[in-house]
Amino acid sequence: MAVLARRLATQFQLLEAPSILKPASSPQIVESGEGEAIRNLRATLEASIASKLTSGSELVRAVARQRREEVLPTTIPLLDALLGGGLARGKMTEIAGRGTRFSIVIATLAAATSIGEAAALIDASDSFDPQLAESAGVDLRRLLWVRPQTMKETVTAAEMTGATGFQLVIIDMGSRRPPGRRVPDAAWVRLARVAESHGATILVSAPYALTGTTSEAMILAHAPRPRWLGRGNAPRVLAGVETKLKLEKHRRLRPGQTTTVFFQCEEAIRGGRESGVGSRISEDVFSDARLATPDTRKAS
Amino acid sequence: MTRLACFYVPMFVLAARLRSEPDLLNEAVGIVEGNGSNAHIVAATRRARKKGIQPGLSLSQARSLLPKLIARGRDAECERTAQEALLEVAETFSPRVEDAGEGVVFLDVTGMERHFADDFGSADAPSASDAELRLARAALRACDAVSLPARVGIAASKLAARVAAELPKSPTVVAAGEEATFLAPLPLTRLSPELEAAAMLQRFGLISIGDLAKLPESEIASRLGEVGRELHWAARGIDPRPLMPRPLPPEFREGMELEWPLVALEPFLFIANAALDRLSKRMEIQGFACKRLEFTLTLDPEGYDARGIDLPAPTRDVKTMLTLMRLDLEKTPPGAPVVGFSFVAHPDRPRRAQLSLFGPSAVSPEKLATTIAKLVSILGDGRVGMPMTVDGHLPERYAINVFSPPPPPDMKRTPARARGLLAVRTFRPPIPIEVTTREADGDDVQIASIRSIADSETPSPMPNSRNRVEAGAKVEIGGTVRICSGPWRIEEGWWSDRPDIREYWDVELERGGVYRVFRGGAEWFVDARYEM
Repeated sequence: MAVLARRLATQFQLLEAPSILKPASSPQIVESGEGEAIRNLRATLEASIASKLTSGSELVRAVARQRREEVLPTTIPLLDALLGGGLARGKMTEIAGRGTRFSIVIATLAAATSIGEAAALIDASDSFDPQLAESAGVDLRRLLWVRPQTMKETVTAAEMTGATGFQLVIIDMGSRRPPGRRVPDAAWVRLARVAESHGATILVSAPYALTGTTSEAMILAHAPRPRWLGRGNAPRVLAGVETKLKLEKHRRLRPGQTTTVFFQCEEAIRGGRESGVGSRISEDVFSDARLATPDTRKAS
Repeated sequence: MTRLACFYVPMFVLAARLRSEPDLLNEAVGIVEGNGSNAHIVAATRRARKKGIQPGLSLSQARSLLPKLIARGRDAECERTAQEALLEVAETFSPRVEDAGEGVVFLDVTGMERHFADDFGSADAPSASDAELRLARAALRACDAVSLPARVGIAASKLAARVAAELPKSPTVVAAGEEATFLAPLPLTRLSPELEAAAMLQRFGLISIGDLAKLPESEIASRLGEVGRELHWAARGIDPRPLMPRPLPPEFREGMELEWPLVALEPFLFIANAALDRLSKRMEIQGFACKRLEFTLTLDPEGYDARGIDLPAPTRDVKTMLTLMRLDLEKTPPGAPVVGFSFVAHPDRPRRAQLSLFGPSAVSPEKLATTIAKLVSILGDGRVGMPMTVDGHLPERYAINVFSPPPPPDMKRTPARARGLLAVRTFRPPIPIEVTTREADGDDVQIASIRSIADSETPSPMPNSRNRVEAGAKVEIGGTVRICSGPWRIEEGWWSDRPDIREYWDVELERGGVYRVFRGGAEWFVDARYEM
């Protein structure tokens, strides 16, 4: 009996909670932005000097805040206004729909390369025209053109270029989904993390929303309307295309705002210059459209 | 006075083999030469020597002494690459390097010692000898970096430098003008052990080098001929032949003969990884990167498989080179077991970039080269690069070049306002179509309807659920034309027999979409869609 009791006691001891399950010691206090040493130092200094003193943690937070607030303007004023200044750096932005997505892509490439930044265009539909891009102001020397053939290659290429240090990475899916299986949602999460960790601006242009909740903002480009110069039986010239953009989602701005932008046809600009029509068209660019908020839409 | 250094790798045959197989460093290994019953030990590791394994023993004798002895055959490829590595290390110290073979390298280090800082903490004012000692220690470290246990000797003559290098306490520096004094007490076998003349001199009663140096040169020459005269010069510290520098090699080589044939890719890549790593380190020493990698596989039972990989940008990244090699071998396997390999790296200067403090950050050239190489390996040639325009009028003309961005500006700029240009999506290749035309004013033709001949894909309707991707439905490009604009004529190559003459129209279809249509000869195509 005594033996049995000892055995039971041993088993009971074995069932006791191991030491690793004991409650952990209280967490260490994380140093606040203004440490005691900094406070004391500031108190002893003159106000003018103390105001210029910055602690390491304050500096880190300031850099992080600056990074959050940095944007890459698309140089299309109405679109930039819609996005709160431009495409957020270190974030992923998506433009979906059947509107003039590619024109926005070209304008963004021109903006980034004109200020000396390296850009990568992941052209899944192989529809990029270097001649037109050069006319639009893209510095081709700073542009890496990647032409993947499947969806997986597209996302892989974007991830690799983003991690390499390209300041702007644009994925253009074309008018249809590239062949191959769809990539898992985790791929977009990974891509968003690459953007954040390397400070890259990633723009995804696709006919349908792909990035889900991982993107900072999403613009919906509605089906465009072509504008022609000339009426009746007179010779016609394609003047451009007007498209409506709607802010579908934004992490910091109120969604629902819409705007209408107009993109000119290059031939119309050239022909217009000769005939005097061009100046009128140029003045109309971006000016005949207005930024409409949800409230104004309701009122109208 | 000329100062010469000698890099000497003792038991070079063994050192070369262990460099390729570093896992065997602490094992009892014997290097064997010859086949069958003629197989005999030429070198052995310290652990094997402690058990009595000595050069000259037959393999069976060695096995009887130490059954667990790891026997490896002499590998000419390993020895050649090890010798090259030693030469490359020497070239980082002096431009004048002589290849004396079998783990021996001479180099002219006259004045070179001044480049080396005092790194061993000498409190006294540095003398020439101290500076040379610093140089020699730096050389030992450099040899260690390429996995070669070298010894270094510095003297005014090649022979004295070599003898100094052979001494166990390395490095050894013989002060200028003291070569004869240094050599005098050493045995005659140090002069030229392989010569019969040395044995003959010993029979004359001469024991040390100093004994020989004291004798008159003419007497030695009259008895031993030219060989004796050269030995006498050597004994006095005079070189019979000057240093003969070798030209710089245009390429880097690494290779190995395998003990058994490899049939799977993974084991081969495991060995190739180590070889590429050595290659990369050697190129790094010289400040080069690999522009083209050639590799030759020795097949079993006979034959070779030679391949070459052009890297999009010079790189030293082993992972990239290994990935490219893997892809190449997966695409076209060698077709027979591999029993040896040889890698040849064609060097080029790596890209350098000066980073800016205030401007946009530049992409690291090394990382860029690696990324581009990986992308090319995944996507194929011609699908990654810098787009370029090509002179001409045809809109589909383009070129793709190596991506090499200029340095970013020093200061941040503000982007210029966009031109607001309407982009077109180019169809590559153009889609052939059938066209119905109607009469128009003058000779011009206006398009009434279009229909693609081959099936093409147009955007599918928006899906109902978010984040749901569906393949585009296959619908022909076609329909009734609502508005037609054109034609614009383009002519290129009018001086040739077959000039390109085209007429272009912009057409808007009733069902939506504006396309760029052209007629070339009797055929019609759609080559672009105005971005919709």
